[in-house]
Amino acid sequence: MRKILGVVLAILLVPTLVGAQAGLKKRRPLPPEYGRVTIGTAYAEQKFPDVQFDHWVHRAKFTCRVCHVDIGFAMKANATGIKTEDIINGYYCGTCHNGKMGIEDRKVFAACAKTYTDEDKQQRCSRCHTGKETGKRKYDFFAFAADMPKERFGNGIGWEQAEEAGKLKPLDYIEGVSFKRKALEIPKDIDIEAKVPGMNEIIFSHKKHSVWNGCESCHPEIFAIKSGTTKYTMMEIFEGKFCGQCHLSVAFPMIDCQRCHTKPVQ
Amino acid sequence: MIRRSALLVLLLLLSPSRAAGNFMFPDPPPPEEYGNLLIGRTAAANKVKSVSFSHWVHRQKYTCRVCHFELQFNFQANTTEITEAANRAGMFCGACHNGKEVFGHEKPEDCQRCHNDDLRRGVEGFAKLWRLPEAKYGNRIDWGAALEDLKIKPAHQLTIEPAGQIGFSETILLDAEWAMVSGAIFPHGKHTKWLDCNDCHPYIFNIKKKFTEGLRMANIIEGQFCGICHGKVAFPLTDCARCHTDLKTVPVFKEPVSR
Repeated sequence: MRKILGVVLAILLVPTLVGAQAGLKKRRPLPPEYGRVTIGTAYAEQKFPDVQFDHWVHRAKFTCRVCHVDIGFAMKANATGIKTEDIINGYYCGTCHNGKMGIEDRKVFAACAKTYTDEDKQQRCSRCHTGKETGKRKYDFFAFAADMPKERFGNGIGWEQAEEAGKLKPLDYIEGVSFKRKALEIPKDIDIEAKVPGMNEIIFSHKKHSVWNGCESCHPEIFAIKSGTTKYTMMEIFEGKFCGQCHLSVAFPMIDCQRCHTKPVQ
Repeated sequence: MIRRSALLVLLLLLSPSRAAGNFMFPDPPPPEEYGNLLIGRTAAANKVKSVSFSHWVHRQKYTCRVCHFELQFNFQANTTEITEAANRAGMFCGACHNGKEVFGHEKPEDCQRCHNDDLRRGVEGFAKLWRLPEAKYGNRIDWGAALEDLKIKPAHQLTIEPAGQIGFSETILLDAEWAMVSGAIFPHGKHTKWLDCNDCHPYIFNIKKKFTEGLRMANIIEGQFCGICHGKVAFPLTDCARCHTDLKTVPVFKEPVSR
């Protein structure tokens, strides 16, 4: 009896356990960090630190579609299962990072190799395999961003405006991987009603998205081709599904509520 | 109504120490010190005095979102990575304190205007706010009413404007944990005048009420959820009736009742 009483008392007196994450604010990544993805190496015995991949440096030259459709990178880090051999054989990173492909006036450095010297390890391996440290990047974010249109949040760069103004000409074709197809007609913008009464409606622009994504990045896997068929909620988007696949970590972040919820309701 | 308040007091008196502990509010600072804080993450290491920051000085000129959203100040002192270099580069304090808009980092005599370790720095200016609408607690100023009556005209935007504005103003009702207490109202409209959607959503409050886990008074008093602002800067939690509108503001126990 006394034991039970003790347990009851203990339960009553134990202070409320509070989840570490609940009800507090997250740190927002700094502009150079936004879109940085940590990719773990497939083989632990290789003892190579993780790869830090920066989206900004790549999207300055290529569309999303090229890597995520033509080359076949999954939309979630470490979901692709990239192996060193794949890269050596010219897949994934190795599609471009082969020491042969030219971009503008220079050659893209070769990534993984079967054999490597200590010097290689210093000079080449460490360009991607930087571990927690970002290492010394060849390209300076701030120098790049200085000339770009400004935008709230994310990288602080107006990627959309930069492309429209011709400041960026992202390539949508890589020789040997991409195939030329006749362009499809771009569907109209769609108006998505918010589920909460009084909340601004969402205008989804196919035009703005197709510049970077073509059709295949989203259809038919993420969104069914018929509007209204795929049911989703804002909750799921915040969990990284649907729009959240890109707009949580790479494309402008969802803290920019007003950028999608643009149409006031009467 | 009186009977209900009396019952609540009785309940508080009789409840086990845990409940009494939940309603232990810190001693309120004098009104002119409410919302003042010292920022000194690296002050000791750099052998400089901590910075005294006054919310009541700044909120007359800028709404919360300007600093806590655009300039990325966290809601907890000493968790934002403010450095002198960052300030000089125009981030954080340096967005305004740049020697052009307001005093910056150039003149040596200006250092002590912030780096003074003095929570009461500048309190003499508080008397000038006597025209603002009165409240019972905190700064004893009803900042919400001051804004609505245009007694203060803080800027709501500093850098790049959003694509549009979301005029979401629904007032939601949050159920109370206890049967004796009325639910709390949450007016979106009053909050969006000061804040951005993302100041609260989705990381502090889930966008769905039912998925916001741990939204309990005990956690709020510990400084989570509403307590991130209310209790430190926005009107304090002692002002029960401002949210639990059916309640009369109940007396606050400073000492736990031991029997």
